[in-house]
Amino acid sequence: MRLSRITKSFGTHSNVSRAVDDVSLTIERGEILAVIGENGAGKTTLMRIAAGELSPDAGEVLRSAQDDIGFVHQHFLLVPELTIAENLALIERRFRFATRKTLEREAVRMIESSGIELHEVSRRVADLSVGEKSKLELIKAIATKPSTLILDEPTSVLTPHESEELFRVMRTLAASGTAIVFISHKLPEVLAIAERIVVMRTGKVVMETREATAESLARAMTPQPPLPAHGERVRVRGTLALSHGNVQIHHHEILAIVGVAGNGQSELAEELRARFPHAGQIPEDRTRDGVIAQMTIAENLALRGVRDAERMIELYSIRALGPRQLAGDLSGGNQQKVVLARELDRRPQIIIAAEPTRGLDIEATSFVHERLRVAAAAGAAILLITSDLDEAFELADAMQVIYRGKLSARMTPEEASSRVANLMAGVA
Amino acid sequence: MLDLVVRLIGDSIPLAILAATPLLLAVQGELVVQRSGMINLGIEGMMLVAAMTAVLAAQLTNSVALGFLGGIAGALIVAIVFGFFVITLKADQIVTGTAINLLAVGATSFVYRELQRSEIFVQSVPRIGTDVVVPLAWIVFPIVLAIVLWNTSFGLRLRACGENPDVIAPHVARHRAAALAIEALLAGTAGAYLTLALSSGFAENMTAGRGFIALSIVIFGRWKLKGAILGTAIFGLAAALQYAVQASARGVPYHLLLAVPYIVTLLILCGIAGKVRAPESLGR
Amino acid sequence: MKAPRSAGFQPAAPPPSRRPGSRDNRRQDAGVAAGWKPALRGAAAVLFTILLLALSGAAFGHSPRELLSILITGSVGSTFALQGTLLKSVPLLLTGLSVVIAFRAGVWNIGGEGQFIVGALAALLASRFGLVPSLLAAMLAGAAWASIASLMRLWRNAPEVLTTILLNFIAIHLLGWCVNGPLRERTAMYPQTDVALATLPRLGGLFSGLHMGILLAVLASVGAWWLLYRTNEGLRLRATGFNSSAAKWAGVNVRAQLVRAMAISGAAAGLAGGIELLGVTNRLFERFAAGYGYSGIAVALLAQLHPLATIGSAFFFGALVTGAGELQRTANISAAVATLGQAVVILVLIGFEYARSRR
Repeated sequence: MRLSRITKSFGTHSNVSRAVDDVSLTIERGEILAVIGENGAGKTTLMRIAAGELSPDAGEVLRSAQDDIGFVHQHFLLVPELTIAENLALIERRFRFATRKTLEREAVRMIESSGIELHEVSRRVADLSVGEKSKLELIKAIATKPSTLILDEPTSVLTPHESEELFRVMRTLAASGTAIVFISHKLPEVLAIAERIVVMRTGKVVMETREATAESLARAMTPQPPLPAHGERVRVRGTLALSHGNVQIHHHEILAIVGVAGNGQSELAEELRARFPHAGQIPEDRTRDGVIAQMTIAENLALRGVRDAERMIELYSIRALGPRQLAGDLSGGNQQKVVLARELDRRPQIIIAAEPTRGLDIEATSFVHERLRVAAAAGAAILLITSDLDEAFELADAMQVIYRGKLSARMTPEEASSRVANLMAGVA
Repeated sequence: MLDLVVRLIGDSIPLAILAATPLLLAVQGELVVQRSGMINLGIEGMMLVAAMTAVLAAQLTNSVALGFLGGIAGALIVAIVFGFFVITLKADQIVTGTAINLLAVGATSFVYRELQRSEIFVQSVPRIGTDVVVPLAWIVFPIVLAIVLWNTSFGLRLRACGENPDVIAPHVARHRAAALAIEALLAGTAGAYLTLALSSGFAENMTAGRGFIALSIVIFGRWKLKGAILGTAIFGLAAALQYAVQASARGVPYHLLLAVPYIVTLLILCGIAGKVRAPESLGR
Repeated sequence: MKAPRSAGFQPAAPPPSRRPGSRDNRRQDAGVAAGWKPALRGAAAVLFTILLLALSGAAFGHSPRELLSILITGSVGSTFALQGTLLKSVPLLLTGLSVVIAFRAGVWNIGGEGQFIVGALAALLASRFGLVPSLLAAMLAGAAWASIASLMRLWRNAPEVLTTILLNFIAIHLLGWCVNGPLRERTAMYPQTDVALATLPRLGGLFSGLHMGILLAVLASVGAWWLLYRTNEGLRLRATGFNSSAAKWAGVNVRAQLVRAMAISGAAAGLAGGIELLGVTNRLFERFAAGYGYSGIAVALLAQLHPLATIGSAFFFGALVTGAGELQRTANISAAVATLGQAVVILVLIGFEYARSRR
């Protein structure tokens, strides 16, 4: 399969972002190709175009007629209320009569031929573990015998053991001629399994290689080399401001909760939001929970009693026509600044910031970081929930790892730098 | 007192079965549609339009069978309008359903009054001879639906549409349209039965809330076929009892009796009378 | 595992596009004025509807010109006609406002009909204490009836779309019982209640047949506008309607908004019932509500959910109902064309909304 000069933008008039920018790529049979890059680099968008789920604004997707693509999405496409067998039966398109028994028999056969272990096909998918759901997705994709199989961050919810199982299946499939595209941002596993690696950054392919080291890949993924240690940072540690379970934060302190996405971060943020309604809240799902798109900037600010919208626009350098512009018409970064103005201007004692820079450009990201530092310096206790380790190391005075809903003990950044990877993978 | 109640119920059952037949048809239709993830408040309007087109077709052709076909055709037109707005334009289902009901009341009243000017439509309406609809509604359709919904790949996908349409995204529109067509078939038959069997002609707004009752029964039956049949029987019996009570037991507040099934449905929605689980994507 | 989440098909935060409040004039700026675009859309919908009615008439051999002239003279052509139109507009305005408030908050109150009925029932029962207590009772009863639905939603996540519809039927049967049983007038041929012991005073002069309820209704829409666009509560209510999930993160107690919006919405519908009883019918009978609750949805949507525009929208539908009545009397065309008009208005607006979303 060949992708040639693909471009795709999202958003409306004033708020366009180029997710994929003039990318060409060839996918060969029987190879394992890794597409890596940071969040928002355009990997998933590119692959959805390749799979025909999105149509490109410009460029061409060339595939031969018998090319058949299986796509395992990062978000499960399963029906929780149906059983494993029924979910597998959904693949088929023709009309036929089939009892539950028949479906279950077929499911068992399908699972066997996939080489993946999954038992008791009469279980409802809602009752499966995350790893099992992920396996089921994979079985579904393999069952259609695709000539190309695209896996979007498949290991993010797998245990190391399950990841191994997945890699074994991937190798078998590749050996039998299937092209496999593996989207990831985890360098070690990419180096372990991929035959060819494509690095994407801000919508462009910045590197294509068969020989790579973790360092060279990391350099290509991020615009500047990962930040060096943050030097001497002396900060006053104040009195205890927040205590919730085994989370304790003092005034003047930034505590980072790090972990692989989907390990209970959302639930933690939700819990804290309910417990500290007056805290400054930066929601994790920015597009859904950030600003209220249909309301003006002024109205959005007024929700937290922030009145002087003119001044806020200036102070937070929000690029807007004025306080009466609809917040939904702003770019993502400027929307986030409206959220910051709304949440931080009250000088809350506690700030809960969940993924505050996810998907933002560099300028907006550093602005958000700056604001959080200023708030901490002014005495706020900040809980930073992030899956971006660089962000955590840049900002945090202390860290805890969240894995399957459980929080590790508190660590200094120095302690964390050696232990965090294992804790996030649940192997320590 | 107790044997009075028993006698009343016993006397009411035959009437209840007849009177509840259109209701049961509508309930099954709405069940299919809701299982596919839509909520069609417009089923009331669908039945009303079918009731009218059935009468018109029967009068024109002097055939009851063609009358029923006319009813189904009328319901199908309503289904197409609803489907166009809800599936194609992705309009809100509640708002569209409300509009469909208003549309049906307005259009049928208007058209029927206009047609009364012509002679064909003042002649008497042919009535159903042998009632094949009752066994169809109570036995044949439930069996067929049970097979289609739970023992075919089509039924599986239709239910998946109601739970998580993203899974079969490219096929959702087709399956929901099919669900609406099934509903039109059933609700059309129901409307025709109202005019060609239960009464002798069309009257403004003659469905009198049966569509909404059907909607309640689908919930009452917890989106299951067995529950739907049981629910229809209970609602039908309550309605039939009202006449018996009116006739023989003065002083019993039968209006309040009529409200009881709705109160029970409310409690069911609150999960008090047992667990309830609606299709996850219903209404979206 | 099926416990709390399972009962509801409307989760706490449906995606914004599906919320009732989001069928909104997106460009609206702090609600000072809805701007000319929504007004234009409304006018276009009205014109289209009138055109379609005329064409339907023509299809059955009526002269469209004559039809329109009857519609217009029958609704606004004389003081008498205008008075009839205004009388019909009052309940429509209040049930319309009821829907505006609810949909703005993202709450599906389809129960206007039931709230209208219990409002009237309460007004009748309280009428012996005087006019003001009677109207207050109507509002309170409407609010309480609607609150059953919001509490069921909070408590068990029972979707209010369904509970409010069910409550309509319960209210209808409650009314049926009242007019046939405890409240039935002893001497009447038909089941109806005794007359209410309070009545709304008439306006004097030209509109001597018109009751004070019209002033209350207009006052209510100004009040609703003030609430929605000039208070913090209104800001939070609208935020909840637009995007309840984001509102939560902005510190809004969305559960409280739900309860409050439903109560206000119910109070407006209840007041509509009370005013209709004390100003027009003076007694209750089985078909008292006559669809005002459902018509409120059309009124609110034509007004694009703006409280002040609701006045104009209610007037239009009031005129349509009155004009249609005249059509039935003089041209033997069913008065139900007014209902047809409501439906067409809603469907046309949906079409506009779709066209706009495509741009």
